[in-house]
Amino acid sequence: MGKDVFEVTVNILKMFVIFLMMVQAVPILVWLERRGSAFIQNRLGPNRIGPLGLLQLLADAVKFLFKQSFVPEKSVAPLYYFAPVMALIPGALAFNSIPLSIPINIQPFEMAGQTWGPYTFAFQGYDLGIGIVFILGISSLAVYGLMMAGWGSSNKYSLMGAVRATAQAISYELALSLSLVGILMVYGTFSFREIVDIQTGPLTFKAFGGEHIVSWLPNWGIFFQPLGALIFFAATFAEANRLPFDLPEAEGELVAGFHTEYAGFNLLLFYIGEYGHMMVASALLATFYFGGYSFPGLNPADVLTYMQSVTGGANSASILTAVVFHLVLLAKVAIFLWIFIHVRWTLPRFRYDHLMSLGWKTMLPWALANACFTAIWMWLGHR
Amino acid sequence: MPVLSENLLFFILAGLTIFSGLMVILQSNPIFCALALAMTMISIAGIFASLGAWFVAGVQLIVYAGAVMVLFVMVLMLFDLKDEVRAFSRGIVSGFVKIASVGVIGGVVTAAIWMSAETVFPTTPSGLQVSATQSTKQLADLLFKKYIFSFEAMGALLLIIAIGAVALSRIQGGTHADR
Repeated sequence: MGKDVFEVTVNILKMFVIFLMMVQAVPILVWLERRGSAFIQNRLGPNRIGPLGLLQLLADAVKFLFKQSFVPEKSVAPLYYFAPVMALIPGALAFNSIPLSIPINIQPFEMAGQTWGPYTFAFQGYDLGIGIVFILGISSLAVYGLMMAGWGSSNKYSLMGAVRATAQAISYELALSLSLVGILMVYGTFSFREIVDIQTGPLTFKAFGGEHIVSWLPNWGIFFQPLGALIFFAATFAEANRLPFDLPEAEGELVAGFHTEYAGFNLLLFYIGEYGHMMVASALLATFYFGGYSFPGLNPADVLTYMQSVTGGANSASILTAVVFHLVLLAKVAIFLWIFIHVRWTLPRFRYDHLMSLGWKTMLPWALANACFTAIWMWLGHR
Repeated sequence: MPVLSENLLFFILAGLTIFSGLMVILQSNPIFCALALAMTMISIAGIFASLGAWFVAGVQLIVYAGAVMVLFVMVLMLFDLKDEVRAFSRGIVSGFVKIASVGVIGGVVTAAIWMSAETVFPTTPSGLQVSATQSTKQLADLLFKKYIFSFEAMGALLLIIAIGAVALSRIQGGTHADR
């Protein structure tokens, strides 16, 4: 956690700030989803309250907070109340372990009659060094929230939704994990920071007994693992229960699936969980396949020198540099989030047997083939 | 200071493991038993992580807490298990079994406390810390070089169990029997 009070305090605060960042992005995404879907379907969407309908978010938040919460009489109380929290925890934990920018260096300074520092703060909740495995493990726990909600509400529709969610999550988790095996082999590390570091610079690959450099392309994972990226992206839709994989809450068949019996703030927690999953998936996609917080041609040392010449202070320059690279990552995440939203309003829902056969008979074999092919390629390259 | 915090973490996680393990056998509702077992798995993953075995902790979460227990809970939720609640709570035989179990658990707990004093309050510092990627490489070296045959035998054993389960469920009278 840190070696003195200041570092420990900052590290703990950082986790809360990143969690709040995730939660605060949800209303914006909801607004984007409503307006975006309206434009796709040639409607207007919520546009009455505030500029561009942005204050609709506040009205929604007030509604969610003050709406009366109806609890089904025969519900299993502990599971019913814990389920929304359980849906939120995995997304929050996973988002905290993704590096959002380069670390901030703080020079020694005087405070309260004592010299503090120097410090290096990572721009992420915690750096576990085992990032990929941790995120896979944590996101596999997300399905408990849906199951508790489905069974705890004592409702047939909820239970059917929960059973579908469970079967779907387990099926697509295999393809998701296997598509990341290729990434693990190419980079040879579990740490997100090292993965991003490897992806800086021009595209460099070993083939036909020599090293080739393509100077006009960045060294991003998408060029090494295109199939893995595709499978990973498709499987994250299933993990986040988004269309075209939103069978657990298919309105036409199951009312609202596992959250049929939820209203008000409890329902909002499920929404935050779903959008949190989307954000984690987008950030992971950017980190694994699109260079994370790095930007082609933008060197951290150059940016730091420029910021120092602008501000004059070492600490503020370091913070501003981190903010610049954070914005780069945010831009990438925003693009993927928009793709998530666009796909939802473009593709129809799968039928359940089609969903299962796509997961087990198409994506799993292709992910396995991708892993085998990568292994053979690596072996040929390192011989 | 780090020794104290590590010990504190161990005691919290161990207490959680034992508590949720007890809940598995003390709860009468099978769903709560299964969820308590999942909690046990998660706390064991935490203990692995606190020992520096990051990869094993992650795999524990993915495989046991994530996949196996989820299937378990899903199956339990689909069946109505009201009769099983009462099955083991009456009778002379189960009374003897209960008393014997108490004796065995008491003995195991005493022995565990007796023998783990050196582990919990180490007089010598523990081994040096290696990075997560490095320790995973060591694990892979052991699994795929030294113990490759036993590892493959375990895989074959699990495959036999899976095929056996499918075969049992498809014979006459099974849940998926061809009639």
